[in-house]
Amino acid sequence: MSTATQPAPAERAAFRRPRIRFFGQEAPLGYLLLAPTLCMLLAFLAYPFVVGLWLSVTDSEVGAIGRFVGLGNYRHEFLHDRVFLSSISNTFVYTAATTVFKLVLGLVMAVLLNQAFPLQRFVRAALLLPFIVPTVLSTLAWRWMFDPTFSVINWVLARSGLAAHGVNWLGTPQTAMASLIIVNVWRGAPFYGISFLAGLQVIPIELYEAARVDGGTRWQQFLRITLPMLRPVLLVVLLLSTILTFADFQLPFVLTNGAPYSSSHLLATWAYAQAIQGGAMGIGAAISLVLFPVLSIVIAGVLIALQRQD
Amino acid sequence: MGEGAIVGKRTQRRRRLTRRAFLQSAGAATAAAAAGSVLAAFAGGTPAAAAAVPKPRAGARIRLLQWNSFVRAADNELRRQAKEFGDANGLVVEIETVSGDQLQPRTVAAVAAGDGPDIIQMQYGWPHLYTSSTVNVDNEVAYLMQRLGKVHPVNEAYCKVGGHWRAIPYTQVPNAWSYRTDLFQKAGVTSFPKTWDELIVAGKKVADATGKPIAQTVGHAYGDSLTMWNPVLWGFGGQEVDKDGKTVVINSSETEAALRWAIRAQQNGIKWFPEWLDPDNNQAYHADRISATLNGPSIYIREVIEFKHFDQVTNNAPMPSGPKGSFTLNLIMNHAVMSWSKEQETAKAFLLSLMEKGNYSKWLKAARGYNHGPFEGLYDDPVWHYDLKLRAYRNVVIDSQGRPIGEWPGWPAAPSKQTSQSQTQFVVADMFAKAVATGDTKAAMNDAEAKLKAIFGAP
Repeated sequence: MSTATQPAPAERAAFRRPRIRFFGQEAPLGYLLLAPTLCMLLAFLAYPFVVGLWLSVTDSEVGAIGRFVGLGNYRHEFLHDRVFLSSISNTFVYTAATTVFKLVLGLVMAVLLNQAFPLQRFVRAALLLPFIVPTVLSTLAWRWMFDPTFSVINWVLARSGLAAHGVNWLGTPQTAMASLIIVNVWRGAPFYGISFLAGLQVIPIELYEAARVDGGTRWQQFLRITLPMLRPVLLVVLLLSTILTFADFQLPFVLTNGAPYSSSHLLATWAYAQAIQGGAMGIGAAISLVLFPVLSIVIAGVLIALQRQD
Repeated sequence: MGEGAIVGKRTQRRRRLTRRAFLQSAGAATAAAAAGSVLAAFAGGTPAAAAAVPKPRAGARIRLLQWNSFVRAADNELRRQAKEFGDANGLVVEIETVSGDQLQPRTVAAVAAGDGPDIIQMQYGWPHLYTSSTVNVDNEVAYLMQRLGKVHPVNEAYCKVGGHWRAIPYTQVPNAWSYRTDLFQKAGVTSFPKTWDELIVAGKKVADATGKPIAQTVGHAYGDSLTMWNPVLWGFGGQEVDKDGKTVVINSSETEAALRWAIRAQQNGIKWFPEWLDPDNNQAYHADRISATLNGPSIYIREVIEFKHFDQVTNNAPMPSGPKGSFTLNLIMNHAVMSWSKEQETAKAFLLSLMEKGNYSKWLKAARGYNHGPFEGLYDDPVWHYDLKLRAYRNVVIDSQGRPIGEWPGWPAAPSKQTSQSQTQFVVADMFAKAVATGDTKAAMNDAEAKLKAIFGAP
């Protein structure tokens, strides 16, 4: 091989330079590193969302793409579907009630777990169990505990004399909703607790020492130091929890599946009944997307609040 | 023209030839029927019969998806027959079973993806929901009718869409009452009530004397809710929609009479549980908490072969009558060959072999009376003579003269997408649940009427 074909060292350096320059520049490298995530988001988030949006304005059925019907599905649901209307209010009640309870219980849990006590690590791990156990399994266990024939809770209530016949847990619209809220809080509170605990542990101890020196009570320390310092964690946890609870499916599906008389349906279970069991994909997609504007406002509000914090 | 279109034309041509050949050689097919089993025909029996039926392809691999039977031995027998068919024809048949409530999500996923099992068990009116994903099986059902006689009208109503068979009739799971004879006798009730009004009288006596009520779901149990409350509605003359399948007629004095009966029954000690799902009444019966319930034969069969606690004191009875007569609704299952299957001929051949009288009888025997055949020629199976207590289940599929009986959700309208939606939304069961919970029959009827109008008037 002749040396004439080999590029000169200076040429070789010049040849290499653009590559070095590419990796040296922040923006192109940033886009390059973002590309895989972006592709995944497009494939698994944006595409299904756009397809869902499209389905909601068609009369599609399972296995058959339908014609464009504009806002016909939405109009039909709001004007004619009583279960849909009750499932909207159920979803709001369910999300609001569970969020309040989980927030309070999570905070109490985090403050308690932040104290030094024997078997602290074991207790912290044990409290996470409801969150770790698969939802379907734990909900089936709760279903058994609420069963009208075999309810352990009712057995205890009756034996201890607290109630003559126990509670008709899943048999009335009010108690069925209360049961859904109880199980969701039981399952979700540990997530709040552990997240808040992580937030508590990064609050500088000096702040509390200074407050004590200034004569601040425990309650004042909590209000003036703990809560403000926890605010970013609190907002993020609230945001995630609200989104997940609005879209909750497994728990209400297994525990009540809409019973009694379709009074405990949430939007997710009603969308499933329409789209999967009834084959009406267009209507099911419209039901799923009806809360999208509300959730968008919630998310925007929380993100703005977080930005102000920064 | 795409490859798919060419394949489609070829398939159509082959189907046309097969049908023509079938019609030309109907007589020869009958002779083949007398000569031996379908398998024998596959193996090269009479050429005419071989032309009339699909041929399995050696080396093929097909998959069938269906629910778990409550009688495990039935599924074991099905797997044995699948292996036998596979070994005889040099192919593989995989049987996948899932729980009843998982079957529809799995089916929907396959239909939406346009891919999945070659054969899927269609429950109730699914052939009407997933018509375009199933293949026409006119030829195969005609072949079976030659051999086994007429199809039970309820299976036919579900399998036939637009005048064409979209599924091969498979079975019915009959629903009748299982009751404790010892508890009934203790209350002075010597036989199971023949009418709905008598059921209330007996229910009060049994609940008062034993503390163990007659009980049933009025909730979202995908089997028991339907089989209980639709027949009650019909028994008093109520209907969801008119025969035209469009006009909602639920709001009527007949429906109100049915609702009042349910309220009266509850006031007299019969328990209607809005939270019960399908397994809950089984569990309550086996746990000695209730005296009677409406169910498939699984309560009795499992007592006999598994639990043995109340097998001697359990008997079964068909549906009581209302003022307008006795009505029954059973769980109906059929098999569809799916349009995406690359082995449609093999799949059809396998289904024909399952329905062959000898094989079907072995399967019925394994199921011990849990299932009933969908063809005339399968009605009088020996399984119904082993244990006379099981005759009640046969009597809700065919009457004492051997004539087929039974209805379907939405009856008297023909099964359709809308009647299937009404069924999956539990409109009838919810109406009864609301009436017995609130006592307000008008509100319950108005609610059901609004739901039905939403379903039948959806875009």
